[in-house]
Amino acid sequence: MNSKEKDSSRKTTWKFLLQAGTLVISVTVFIFATLSVSRLLAARNQAGQKQEIKLKAADKTEWSGSQVSPLHRIPLHDELNQKIIPAAPNSLPFSSRYSCEPCHSYDTISQGTHFNYRQRPATDRRTEPWFLVDEKAGVQLPVSFQKYPGFWSPEQLGLTDWKFVTLFGRNLNGGGPGEPSQQNQTPDSRWNVSGPLEINCLGCHHRSPLQDHSEWVKQVMRENFRWAATAASGLGEVIGMASRLPSTWSLADGPNPDDHEWAVVPQVKYNQNFFDSKNNAVLELPRPEDDRCLACHSVTPRQATSRAAVDRDVHLQSGLKCVDCHRNDLSHEIVRGFEGEKLSHSRLKASDFTCAGCHLGEKPEKGGFGFTGRLGAPRPAHKGIPRVHFERLSCTACHSGLLPEKEPQAIYTSRANRLGIFGKAVWTSEFPLIVEPVFVREADKKIYPERMTWPAFWAEVKGRELVPVDSVEVMAAAPEVFSLKQDVAALLNSLLPLAGEGFYPAVIISAYLFEPNVDGSLNVRLLEKTPLTGKVTQDRFLLVQLKNDEARPLLPEFDPDEPPPGLEEKVLSVLQNLKSLARGREPVFLIGKYVYRITEGYLDKMEKTGQPAPQPEICWLQGDEYKPFLSPFQVRNLAVLGSGPGILTEEQVSLALKKLSEMNPGRKFAYVGAGFIFSLDQAGKLRAGRHPAAGAVSWPLAHNVRPAQQALGKNGCTDCHSPGSRVFFGKIEAASPLNTTHRATVLGADLMKTGQLFQFLFGFTFLVRPAFKLVLAACVLVIGLLLLVVIIKIAGRVSGISGDSPGSGNRS
Amino acid sequence: MIFGITSFVLIVILGLRLTFGRFLGRLPEDKRKISTENFKAYVKWIAGWKLSFLKLERWDRCLDRLVAWGRKNFPGWTAWVFYVLVLCYVYLAFSGLFFAWFVPRGLYGFPLLLHVAAGALFAISLTIILFLKARVYLPEKLESRAAAQEKGGFWCPLLGKNLPRIYLEAVAFWVFVAAGFFLAASTLGSMLPYFNYPAQIFFFNLHRWSALASVLSAILALDVMIVN
Repeated sequence: MNSKEKDSSRKTTWKFLLQAGTLVISVTVFIFATLSVSRLLAARNQAGQKQEIKLKAADKTEWSGSQVSPLHRIPLHDELNQKIIPAAPNSLPFSSRYSCEPCHSYDTISQGTHFNYRQRPATDRRTEPWFLVDEKAGVQLPVSFQKYPGFWSPEQLGLTDWKFVTLFGRNLNGGGPGEPSQQNQTPDSRWNVSGPLEINCLGCHHRSPLQDHSEWVKQVMRENFRWAATAASGLGEVIGMASRLPSTWSLADGPNPDDHEWAVVPQVKYNQNFFDSKNNAVLELPRPEDDRCLACHSVTPRQATSRAAVDRDVHLQSGLKCVDCHRNDLSHEIVRGFEGEKLSHSRLKASDFTCAGCHLGEKPEKGGFGFTGRLGAPRPAHKGIPRVHFERLSCTACHSGLLPEKEPQAIYTSRANRLGIFGKAVWTSEFPLIVEPVFVREADKKIYPERMTWPAFWAEVKGRELVPVDSVEVMAAAPEVFSLKQDVAALLNSLLPLAGEGFYPAVIISAYLFEPNVDGSLNVRLLEKTPLTGKVTQDRFLLVQLKNDEARPLLPEFDPDEPPPGLEEKVLSVLQNLKSLARGREPVFLIGKYVYRITEGYLDKMEKTGQPAPQPEICWLQGDEYKPFLSPFQVRNLAVLGSGPGILTEEQVSLALKKLSEMNPGRKFAYVGAGFIFSLDQAGKLRAGRHPAAGAVSWPLAHNVRPAQQALGKNGCTDCHSPGSRVFFGKIEAASPLNTTHRATVLGADLMKTGQLFQFLFGFTFLVRPAFKLVLAACVLVIGLLLLVVIIKIAGRVSGISGDSPGSGNRS
Repeated sequence: MIFGITSFVLIVILGLRLTFGRFLGRLPEDKRKISTENFKAYVKWIAGWKLSFLKLERWDRCLDRLVAWGRKNFPGWTAWVFYVLVLCYVYLAFSGLFFAWFVPRGLYGFPLLLHVAAGALFAISLTIILFLKARVYLPEKLESRAAAQEKGGFWCPLLGKNLPRIYLEAVAFWVFVAAGFFLAASTLGSMLPYFNYPAQIFFFNLHRWSALASVLSAILALDVMIVN
């Protein structure tokens, strides 16, 4: 009995313990959960309150709530934070840091897209790089702070902030590298002379007909950094050039009273009409106008003959402005508008301003159920376009850029080719060579239309790595190789006395006419018919004189025994001109059995030894040998250069590489261009090879957006899908400053990674598609009709209408 | 995702149901019921198949059987239409389901090209087969044949009796035809320049769900028409 009671009590105890344990655990979990939730809620409340306070404060300083941009009647301050008195002599230029800061946080704005180059978000899509261009050395190298393959960072190229700003300041808005920290001020810089290149707020916001981008460029080129914004705004005129001042000069030194001609200290003379009686500047500063953006963001096909021949972006034609889509708040982080963009400083929602953001809104292409997009943008029907196109193509693939042709077209862009800078000089540069559109599959598996270029540069080969060599070093090693056109232009200009009135000398080589231009180089024209016969390898050329389109031989034929009056003076003048270019040779003029030469400053006519000259000729006398006026090297290479857009020939590259190697024994050099790397082999012969650094560089384009009627696919699938499709089978050949037969070539299908064979076969199916559709339609019709009959029969039987229904049998 | 899971589950369920029915059909009539014992026995029976279907010989025999069935049911040149239908259909079903299940991007590349080409042949051969066989499965023709099959029909465990097999054949046939109609119509619709993006989405979904219905009806047809 006792033992039974014991057992019973033990059982009760275990059960009790289990229940008690469960209770304790439950209570503990309950308390823990309650405390955790309470703490979370409290934290959330606190965070919410803090954020609310912060937002209100920020909103107050940023926007009053009005849609109107106020007229700015504000005191301007200089970089010493002193108010500018426009009538005062020796006034300093205004400083946007001190003039705008009282109302708009300069530091916040400094984080903006156009200023904060170094710390752009890593998620930011590739954009057009800057281009380090040297038209003599054949260099076009993409430079960017963005870390993408093919882009060279300024650090890699040894470009300090100073160099970067002097090279690219023409299209910088100031800030960023224009205001380097103390540690970034290198010994080669002249910041103390030029001053900082502050953010040029007026460059974008100033609505004034006097606001002038070209003036900004000129001032930056003169190293007048601190004066550039004032001069470009038209608020004042700036004279002087900081670039001519000694590097020891500083603002405190003031103007140099002894030099009014050369090293003139930059000075501002303010236009007092822009100031009120209290010396406040009166400025209209609304949202930026399109022209301000287009000063740096224009793109033009090279084949366009005039501005009138180019269509603008369809959005601009429709009345939108750039800033309607590319918006920003105070952070000045501009919405770029690509899918997947993430803003790091701005409080705007980037996805609202993509193509889909305006044209589709939340509706179902974007997976939502909201209303259509912003700004009343028309909603596309995209009729007949299969779903895969929206999954695999960006909107811009069909809607943006130039229409695809058999080959992508060469274009100019503002930043790369220096468009939009007006003055006496022609600023537009032919290099870099950029083409569009090429269609490239990006990391997100979507196909984008892009602009493409191929880097060209001189490099030192270190193992598998290529280290770009400064073109100054290369040209110093072989100056005569790179000054080919300049040398010939100088020679031709020396012959001017022999030309008739209004005529100027030129030379015909092969099928090309070369004439000197104002830049001291040569322009080339293709002749319909060349007077030269025979092969180019004969190193033949013909000196001519030109007037408009009239050409006649330059060298006069006359009887040397009875020369026409005044002619010998002309010959003397030419020979004197040529003497300065002789390089150890003696210029002579041959005619018949005579040779004209300069002896002790006078023209001397002597009998020529050997055979008489068959025709008048200007030559170089070297020893006892008469050398042609233009060397075989010059003739040969000009003949090659005449045939293409290049500025270098393989022979020039080969010679330059040899010279570089001779001057730098133990180092190996190469030239990268046309998608290849060119280096000398053991035998000293130029060889072309492949290297990743020689590969094409591309970046997505977004503008100009074409009207929907010009979108790819508007004419049907065969706009892209056909056996000879321009999109898939358009040949993309590397454009380069080097004239070479070695050119990297790729087809569109390869860049899109769609496969050539597949695209060919797929394109082929579109030839039989109409028949396919007819057959399918016939099948659908027949099957549908038969199904309809069966359905009617079944319905009849079920409803009892049909005579042979089960029910009808029973009734009968 | 939903389509992938649903299609997989439905095909497996139908396969299990048909094989289970076939298993029950092997049993004496008094033992044909849903029970734990029968399930266990069914699992053993299925497991007994082991790897026999990996043997080429087995597939060879299946092919012979199919060819023979085709010759028997489709006289003369019409047998070739049947074979084309089968061949195209096998490729269409396998390529479609494989890409739907295992390739997130869906059908693309050369398989897609072949899919489109096979789809055209499928539509044509289906239309011809429909002409040839539609009258066999018209409602008024079914009752007489159903009466003849009252005893040797398709065992339905839920009703506990044999159903005339002709009913299932008719269902399989007409569902297959209807699904084929929607498959062809959705393909045609997506190729015509009259339908906008939501319509394209609709066509896409119509195509894949029709394909699923088609596959299920084809499996049923295989079981009730050919294998039997």
